[in-house]
Amino acid sequence: MASEPPATPTRPRKGSAGAGGPRYPGWLALPAVLWYALFFLAPLGILALFSVSERVGFSEVAYNFNLQNFSDLVDPLYGKIFLRTLELAAVGTLLTLLIGFPLAYYIARWGRRKSLLLLLIIVPFWTSMLIRTYAWLILLDPGFATFDVLRWLHLAGENPEVLFTSKAVYIGVVYTYLPLMVLPIYAALERMDWSLVEAAQDLGDGPVTAFRRITLPLAGPGIVAGSLLVFIPMLGEYLNPVILGGDKTIYVGNLIGQQFLDSRDWPFGSAMAMVVIAVMTVVVLLYVRLVSRSQRHAS
Amino acid sequence: MTDYTKLVLDQKYSRRGFIAAAGASAFLAACGGSTDSSSDEPAGTAEGGTATGDLLYYNWVDYVNPETYKTFAADTDVSVKKDFYESNEELQAKLQAGARGFDLIVPTGYMVQILAEADLLQELDHAEMPNVDKNIDPKFTSLPYDPDDKYSVPKDWGTTGFMYRTDMVKENPTSWSEFFELAKGPYSGQVMVLDGIPEVIGSTAVMLGYSYNTDDEAELDEVKNQLVELKPHIQAITSTNYKQSMIAGKTAMALGWNGDGAAVAAEVPAEYVIAEEGGEFWVDAYSIPVGAENPAAAYAWMDYVYDPAHNAVETEYTYYGSPLQRELLEGEIDAKVLANEDVFPPDDVLAKLEPNTVTPEGTKIRDRIWTEFKAA
Repeated sequence: MASEPPATPTRPRKGSAGAGGPRYPGWLALPAVLWYALFFLAPLGILALFSVSERVGFSEVAYNFNLQNFSDLVDPLYGKIFLRTLELAAVGTLLTLLIGFPLAYYIARWGRRKSLLLLLIIVPFWTSMLIRTYAWLILLDPGFATFDVLRWLHLAGENPEVLFTSKAVYIGVVYTYLPLMVLPIYAALERMDWSLVEAAQDLGDGPVTAFRRITLPLAGPGIVAGSLLVFIPMLGEYLNPVILGGDKTIYVGNLIGQQFLDSRDWPFGSAMAMVVIAVMTVVVLLYVRLVSRSQRHAS
Repeated sequence: MTDYTKLVLDQKYSRRGFIAAAGASAFLAACGGSTDSSSDEPAGTAEGGTATGDLLYYNWVDYVNPETYKTFAADTDVSVKKDFYESNEELQAKLQAGARGFDLIVPTGYMVQILAEADLLQELDHAEMPNVDKNIDPKFTSLPYDPDDKYSVPKDWGTTGFMYRTDMVKENPTSWSEFFELAKGPYSGQVMVLDGIPEVIGSTAVMLGYSYNTDDEAELDEVKNQLVELKPHIQAITSTNYKQSMIAGKTAMALGWNGDGAAVAAEVPAEYVIAEEGGEFWVDAYSIPVGAENPAAAYAWMDYVYDPAHNAVETEYTYYGSPLQRELLEGEIDAKVLANEDVFPPDDVLAKLEPNTVTPEGTKIRDRIWTEFKAA
């Protein structure tokens, strides 16, 4: 296409591209490409190199190609931790979706001051995540007003055990990643033509059927994008288990951190990181397939 | 205001505080560099000892009496610039990744050995700091991590034991086995342990009658079983929250360091215990890393704080033991601090303690035990 002469002499040579939009010069992508090469691909390469190296002494790395680190990972202990992490990410994503979808739906359909509501969703990002997580220590303290209210509602017992349990970890991750779920779903619902729902109801669908047949499919790409944005960081979750979970339950992120910071076994930690990256890549590929299929459906 | 509000607002970094935050920076440092330490030329040692310029002092947070900075700057021509690390491993990661220019660092004994073996420390010239050899207590010389005193000078020292609230725990525990029994019994769910692999595993090994530094797989397997059994009764594994949680009365017992134990006992009825079976004795030491810009200033600092009067100011602030000869401290240091057995344990107690000298192989086995402990 690009090598063919322009169809009409009046069309400018640069910036035209047949069926597509205007074409921009390729060098505009250069800063981004360089950035990725330097700060994403290069560290990834170092990680890959470490993962097939061997630790000698306390933390020296010998670059002799071997797969010992990966075979050490074949261990029920690490399998258990990995499954527990998958569970955290899957259940956490589901909970975030259950809370995030109604919120996004409300803002997109009935919200009166949408920009203000969206701003409120984003506001927490203005504060360091570490500080917000520490703040939850207060909110989850059995002596804090949170539990007075819950006790008054008969939703909590006299001595609720939440802090330093996996419940606290789940509350923490749902809180942390909720905006990443709400925003893409909102973006999908915002573009939706609500008269389609009305039309479906006029033609005899009940509200539930109309939701299932019209709203849900149209919100689909937003749900998938939001779930992915939430699921992936939850797989590498580090902070919430340490602070809110009392560091009692170990997840993959903590296990990797332990290799780098405590045991100083960078090669073993790198091998773990490579496995997690591989799993995430599979998830992203599934996502791409899912989205392209749903887009084919939509058109 | 709840106790955790107090925790957040009063967060005073303890010696080894805030490890989670350190994680990110150490990880970045770890990604940045291979481990070939460029063999920098040791900077020329100044003759005479009149140091000038800046001292770039890389240290634990809140580990120097602010008064000492002021008097040191006034008494010498050196001004101190500070930078901080949160764990020995972060210090190691920074130096291995190629960070240079620090004049003075304070690694723990075992880390002195690791850094020295990685050629990251300069040999010290004791002639540059006459106060050190003059005033040091001989029992703090030729320590196993630095047998020839070539790379380090002790800053202060402490122990790893346990503490309990005397108003909550009535059984007066004095041993690790009592600590474990009480933790699994009446105080289940109110017990914290350090987030430290050597401390927790070593103390458990000592309880079983083995060395703090055992590398024996069968012995470490027993340690693992003990810890997995203890795990369901543990409230949290933390090096930063236990002090506040003890003060708040939410935690009845904790495995921790003596300085934190003294801090808890200063606020609420509590006692710090060096267990009958023994435990860890650690020394934090001054070292000069390779690539130091102004070693003369580092010598000036070490010489300065080895003056008994200056050293007393430090000890009264940190509540960690001083390595100076005891006679020299008498009269200089607050008598109550000198008599405090948590700060200065008597010799017969010290004799039961061991320093951390874990080997790379031992570290590997301990890592897996620790993972199993946390996953249990």
